[in-house]
Amino acid sequence: MLPFQEQIISDLLDDANGGLVVVGSGLPLPSLVASLLLLHHPSAGSLLLLSAPDSQKSAISAALRRAVPDPNTELSLPSDLPGDLPSNQRTALYTSGAALFVTPRILIADLLTSRVPPSSIASLVVLNAHRLSETSTEAFIARILRSNSPSTPIHAFTDRPHSMVAGFAKAERIMKSLFIRRLHIWPRFHVLVSNDLERTPPEVVDIRVPMSSAMKGIQTAVLGAMDACLKELRKTNKVDVEDLTVENGLFKSFDEIVRRQLDPIWHTLGKKTKQLVSDLKTLRKLLDYLVRYDAVTYLKYLDTLRVSEGVRSMWIFADSSYRIFELAKKRVYQVVGADGVKISIDCKSTPTKKRKTNDTSKKETEIETGTSSATKADGRKVDANVGVVLDEILEAAPKWKVLRELLEEIEEERRKDTQANEGEAVVEDVGDLSEIVLVACKDERTCMQLEDCISRSPHQVMREEWQKYLLGKVELHSLRKCNKKKSQEPKGFGVLDGMIAAGSSDHAEPNNISKFENDALLAAASAVSISTKEDDVGDNSQSDSGRKGFQKARGKRVSRKGTSKTQAPRGKRYQVDQNNKNENASSKSKDVQSAPETTSTGICQKNTLNDKCVNIDGDKVNTIESDSAALNHGKPLPPVQFYALDSDQHILDVLKPLVIIVYHPDMTFVREIEVYKAENPYKKLKVYFLFYEDSAEVQKFEASIRRENNAFESLIRQKSLMMIPVDQNGRCIGPTTSSEPESVILQNSLTRKAGGRMSQGKKMQVIVDMREFMSSLPNVLHLKGMHVIPVTLEVGDYVLSPMICVERKSISDLFQSFASGRLYHQVETMTRYYKMPVLLIEFSQDKSFSFQSAGDIGDDVSPTNIISKLSLLVLHFPRLRLVWSRNVHATAEIFASLKQNQDEPDESKAIRVGVPSEDGIVEDDVRAENYNTSAIEFLRRLPGVTDANYRALMDGCKNLAELALLPTERLAELMGGQKAARVLKEFLDAKCPTLL
Amino acid sequence: SASASVQNRNAILVSHRQKGNPLLNHIRNVRWMFADVVCDYLLGQTSCALYISLRYHLLHPDYLYYRIRELQKNFKLRVVLCHVDVEDVVKPLLEVTRTAMLHDCTLLCGWSFEECGRYLETLKVYENKPSDNIREQTHTDYLSRLNHALTSIRHVNKTDVVTLGSTFGSLSGIMDASMEDLARCPGIGERKVKRLYDTFHEPFRRVS
Repeated sequence: MLPFQEQIISDLLDDANGGLVVVGSGLPLPSLVASLLLLHHPSAGSLLLLSAPDSQKSAISAALRRAVPDPNTELSLPSDLPGDLPSNQRTALYTSGAALFVTPRILIADLLTSRVPPSSIASLVVLNAHRLSETSTEAFIARILRSNSPSTPIHAFTDRPHSMVAGFAKAERIMKSLFIRRLHIWPRFHVLVSNDLERTPPEVVDIRVPMSSAMKGIQTAVLGAMDACLKELRKTNKVDVEDLTVENGLFKSFDEIVRRQLDPIWHTLGKKTKQLVSDLKTLRKLLDYLVRYDAVTYLKYLDTLRVSEGVRSMWIFADSSYRIFELAKKRVYQVVGADGVKISIDCKSTPTKKRKTNDTSKKETEIETGTSSATKADGRKVDANVGVVLDEILEAAPKWKVLRELLEEIEEERRKDTQANEGEAVVEDVGDLSEIVLVACKDERTCMQLEDCISRSPHQVMREEWQKYLLGKVELHSLRKCNKKKSQEPKGFGVLDGMIAAGSSDHAEPNNISKFENDALLAAASAVSISTKEDDVGDNSQSDSGRKGFQKARGKRVSRKGTSKTQAPRGKRYQVDQNNKNENASSKSKDVQSAPETTSTGICQKNTLNDKCVNIDGDKVNTIESDSAALNHGKPLPPVQFYALDSDQHILDVLKPLVIIVYHPDMTFVREIEVYKAENPYKKLKVYFLFYEDSAEVQKFEASIRRENNAFESLIRQKSLMMIPVDQNGRCIGPTTSSEPESVILQNSLTRKAGGRMSQGKKMQVIVDMREFMSSLPNVLHLKGMHVIPVTLEVGDYVLSPMICVERKSISDLFQSFASGRLYHQVETMTRYYKMPVLLIEFSQDKSFSFQSAGDIGDDVSPTNIISKLSLLVLHFPRLRLVWSRNVHATAEIFASLKQNQDEPDESKAIRVGVPSEDGIVEDDVRAENYNTSAIEFLRRLPGVTDANYRALMDGCKNLAELALLPTERLAELMGGQKAARVLKEFLDAKCPTLL
Repeated sequence: SASASVQNRNAILVSHRQKGNPLLNHIRNVRWMFADVVCDYLLGQTSCALYISLRYHLLHPDYLYYRIRELQKNFKLRVVLCHVDVEDVVKPLLEVTRTAMLHDCTLLCGWSFEECGRYLETLKVYENKPSDNIREQTHTDYLSRLNHALTSIRHVNKTDVVTLGSTFGSLSGIMDASMEDLARCPGIGERKVKRLYDTFHEPFRRVS
């Protein structure tokens, strides 16, 4: 453990109440928790770790294992508390004094049902404290815990400083709700932290890779589209302009910023504004994927977007987005006329907008002329199969090549070192693992692809993606042929095809150009599949690499700046050719294979280039057959380990690499490297960063650091102004001013209804469905002094009395469950079992208290409007009572008011209501723990599956994967009917008619 | 006469008490006429509505109760149409809610005269409408059915549905896909992969 970590822990333990620790992202939170666990002794009681996601759990366990290197010492790792444990065993676990991971929902239910003796808890550790609020379940837990055993310390942690400042005095409110007084702020720029981390900094090499011009074009276009969206959004005058910058737009939290501002008026917003917000999200993804995905996958994603977003989106029709699609396509292929003239894309058929393609003038002169029927630039009546040739480009990601060179260089350097060191004693840290070069990228997908790139050639990878892409098209095409009726044209073709379909409802022939393109794609696809079968790569690639050489051979430079002790040897500049075919030819001056004619900036004779390519190609084919990466380029590569940042595993301490290549820069990972280095000061760690020059990637990285610093500064300011009330014993008093709120309401109720039926000391009771503990209403009800009884309810969410049953809907829930029809079903059953079924419509305090503004109501009675749906519901269930609540606190008051003069609800009765008898005894437990609810919901939405037969289906097979394989006869048996079974089976096996 | 009674049946009958209520300007999709009725708005044979604005309620807290009592037991559906026209709603709304609930009335809230008028119109227009519109819908085309099923899994959006569909070819293909295959789809991150995989492969019942 580093000195600053020890300092954090000792500071935290200073206050017996506990405290809130905010550390910079990437600083070792798990090992802080682990050291708390080490200090914990079972005799003091159990230590509960609240709301840790799986990745954090494993990180904490790993940190714990590391902290105790001696294998002989008994190490008790914290275990999960399973949700389906019988109650007596739960109590035993809680009192065992062990460390446990618990979810808030389970813990609160156990606390309320007194399955946890509060005295048995030594301390509570709340992770991800930035998610808390006064009404969250964690606060509920803290309150119950503190009221029963006031001295239990509560420690809260978070490593998301920027979410701690999102909202008014958020940190202070969180601390109050957890009853803690101390805020510990540990930014990266804290003196102790920076001292520790900068004592022996790793050697850093910053490599800026230029993007290809098409990528740049796309980036500019996406940013342009974002800017346009933002401008539109500003025009609505509904958002604070200050936060609306493109820089902010790069972050996920941008949606939060916008949503937080718009939420109070969300239901009053027009469609356009809502669409703008979601468009911004899509655009941010596009920007992100641009540097993460290869050209073909990117195009595929765009294709998908075009189908799914269809005509709804605004940005798809913006001019700049036209460029996005056009350029993305250009990175993969081009359609050219057989006579070498590029087909002009005709926009006359577009009803909305005319677009000129500037490519028309650009002639592709070097294309071999095909013998074909004449193609006019107009290109209307030409047989597409003959008239159009698909020109593959398959631009590989520039980083791939740089990565490969880097790896080669690392290996070379290493060889030199070992040669130099030969004869000397072997240095101590030449373990097997340290040989590994760690490449960190964003996601698993990139990992797999890079692995392919390294083991084979980038071109190979691109080809494969391309083939997959084409084959997908072929399949869909043939599918459309055979059942034209079923496959519906996606409404908008969008701009990829350079035109917008008229949106005609009849099954229109694809427009001319798109037909050309389609046919060309299909032709290429079949050619590809044939050529792969024949195992004949040379011929195919000869011609297109020649073409490519001509089009794309622009010299690119990779400049590298060695920061700190630059050891980057040899020439600092490489000529990097865009065309990956020639990569080893032109990239390194030392390359043995480099032929003199290709080392120049790429302006070379076509013929020689062609020859060259053939050679290399042949070379590649051979090497792939012999399956040896080392032979591939005549250069050996070091062992490489790929690591996905998304997987959230802490891999550095396991692999102990000496060389790390950060393929996708990420602030958190950089911090982790720093900590890793500081913990292993004797290792010679070298870190390479791969940035795309002038890209959004760099901007995002830099902005993330700036943002965190700002958050910390704001937190420090807030800390100096905090006011947290303290009682005589120095304990913190939470947001409730009275420590025993129930007495107040009891007094009130007594005076209000003189001689009321409630005897003194008996609290109001509310039976609450377990699933409702996700919401904050149970918390607030308890705060009001009601006795909350958690059970699993089949019907309704809350039972207030033997007569009153309440189904609670937040606004978004209401809209959703109206749309899905679930609400109808719920009201139906509630009406069946209770005399006073209540639908509670609960608005949120920070959102508007209305469905829509008067202007949005429209002139006619429209069936989709919420008014219509509610009216219909009311007409069909005249007994249903509606309750409209401004916020969760108002709901609690309404509940209390409704409960007056009513009997208390009967717990055991409420549980049995509506439970089908064949289910037998329902255990007193959370349903989600017993059932795969997501699978059941999915099952019930399949065609043919009804309320009547889904249980039988669940009994008939283990899971959905198994269901998918059942034969129709068996399904008919389970579903009790041939027809339903056939409907289901057909749906399961139907081909997806999605893409063009 | 007979035609008059038909007309009466197709129109909302409005009590003379409501004369001058701006709400009447917004009943445009249905005919309405003044008549001697005990409720404020007679919407059908067995349904009626009372109108109350929160501002009025604050001045006359007992008004609603007496109006409801007048209705007696003559109606199946008794709507209290509450116009929310004050800023501080919590207390008056609580009282109105309580009164309506305890006296077997259904409370509907509108925030403008337009909205209140629309409720009355809709209740009249939909008088005999079946409940299909709010029951589970049966989409007929494949893609929306697929969307309907797959988007029930958390975090899965429509774009993902298209991606999954085109990658695996059919729903059974998706359901049978390995984690790795799922991860290869563009736009499907770790979280979604796990969600999808668990949904398809975890048993329906976790405890036997």
